[in-house]
Amino acid sequence: MKRRSLSGTGSLGAWLALAASLQVYGCAPTPSQDLFALTEAQMKLRSFQTRTFDVKDRQLALRGVIAVLQDLGFIIERANEPLGLVTAARFSEPNYLEIVGVTVTVRPQADGRMMIRANAIHNNKPIEDPKIYQNFFASLERSLFITKE
Amino acid sequence: MRGSRGWARVVLGLALLGLSSGCVTVPPEEIFQLSPESPKNRAIQTRMFQTSNEKELLSASAATLQDLGFEIEESVWDVGFLRAAKERSAREWGQHIGRFFVLAATFGYVLMPIDLHQKIAATLVARPLNQERSRHEVRIMFYRVVWKGEGYVERSGIPPGEQKSEMIRDPVLYQQFFAKLSKAVFLEAHKI
Amino acid sequence: MTTMPKRARAETPRPIILTRAIRGLAMGSVMGLCLFAQGCLSYEWAHQIQWDSRDQILTSEESQVKLRAAQTRLFDTTDRTEVLRAAILSLQDLDFQVEVLDEELGIVSGKKFVEIERPKLTYDPTYHLYDDAGLLLFTRQYRRWGPFWHRSDLVRMTVTVRKRNEAQLIVRASAQFYLRPLEEPVPYQMFFRTLEQALFLQGQLVE
Repeated sequence: MKRRSLSGTGSLGAWLALAASLQVYGCAPTPSQDLFALTEAQMKLRSFQTRTFDVKDRQLALRGVIAVLQDLGFIIERANEPLGLVTAARFSEPNYLEIVGVTVTVRPQADGRMMIRANAIHNNKPIEDPKIYQNFFASLERSLFITKE
Repeated sequence: MRGSRGWARVVLGLALLGLSSGCVTVPPEEIFQLSPESPKNRAIQTRMFQTSNEKELLSASAATLQDLGFEIEESVWDVGFLRAAKERSAREWGQHIGRFFVLAATFGYVLMPIDLHQKIAATLVARPLNQERSRHEVRIMFYRVVWKGEGYVERSGIPPGEQKSEMIRDPVLYQQFFAKLSKAVFLEAHKI
Repeated sequence: MTTMPKRARAETPRPIILTRAIRGLAMGSVMGLCLFAQGCLSYEWAHQIQWDSRDQILTSEESQVKLRAAQTRLFDTTDRTEVLRAAILSLQDLDFQVEVLDEELGIVSGKKFVEIERPKLTYDPTYHLYDDAGLLLFTRQYRRWGPFWHRSDLVRMTVTVRKRNEAQLIVRASAQFYLRPLEEPVPYQMFFRTLEQALFLQGQLVE
């Protein structure tokens, strides 16, 4: 009975097993358990991103948001009236590398006012500077109260 | 000695990589501030119509865009929003000729990628201008995205798909669109 | 005819740089011609070329009138919902995915992919890298595998239904194929035949 040398086949087996496991599991990172957990920073950001306006009609508010976004040079991507949602994006010409996307939601509150929230993303990273959101709401306020006449 | 030179190379390489891939940019503050060109752009892109029938205005806009070869991609009548696009070839003689001369001048080492494909899109919004909704304004924005083909520089290939976006700012184009829309609704398009 | 003595000719050599430049230009030209020739067989030359690609933004008026006539039919009905329903049925029959439907404005739009210019290999994994929805606005990534390989087989179609007068509706169908507007009248005739069958109505041409 010839004893077969197993050392070579052992390492080959190990490589094969590794290759097989990579095929099965891939090299993908596993998602952390807190992927969708709200952080402190996000809660604080929400207050910058939200403003309440004295507008009774959701459609009017939504149209105001669309108008101000167009004035700011944004291209409206999606608009949904029953859900009060507008998505828009713009790129800084002529340099394509910078792209800003914004999602604005309009929700009527119990006291008859309208809550407007804007989420802006710059090159796939959320914008966290409160001053930028202040600018947006300042422009929006101007637009909303001009159309009220 | 060799170790430190190796590290120096790594650091230099990383530095160059960082420079070439662009530094991480901070969002500019002016994105949500009206720029000095905003009123000019608004004037080019907007016309006022003396009508209370917003749906007819939107329907005619869709028909006008269709006449111009656009395909409607999104339509939300309750906020007066239309989005349309068309895809066309973006090949230009000038770029082909330029590419040939660069190829000849570099003795075949550099083949520049040229524009191949473009998507021209338009977003249109109609809204009432007063409480009685007796006047409406229509604002349309044209933009296009152009993709380049492949090329090579001295044996290393440049992959295809380089993208360039452009807002259309030519007032004549917008005038022509509103002339057609005006004919479709039998109304005059007033400048704002 | 006086012939220069050989020695005199040997005393006037051409500059070396000029020789190299001529050689380089010749090589470049040959390579360029080869590329042109290769280009003739490749994707590029199958598509329109123009002096200014911005000319495509608004169409020209020359062929518009005939095309408009081929794309439009009048129907003796005022039931726009019914006509829209028939248009959706016709698009579905043609394997279109209906993506836009607006009953109030009378718009139906859909798209489908046809079997042309598929890669010669049995399976091209890069075909699936192409994200159709990613081109919604403009891609968020700087460089993207060009859509051209995968847009040439896209057919988009839009049908609009509008009121012509108190008794008639006007239906217009427009399609895009292979990065060009579809200008052949026959495909539109076939589409309207399907639509008429779904509606049990005869469509008339617009004068």
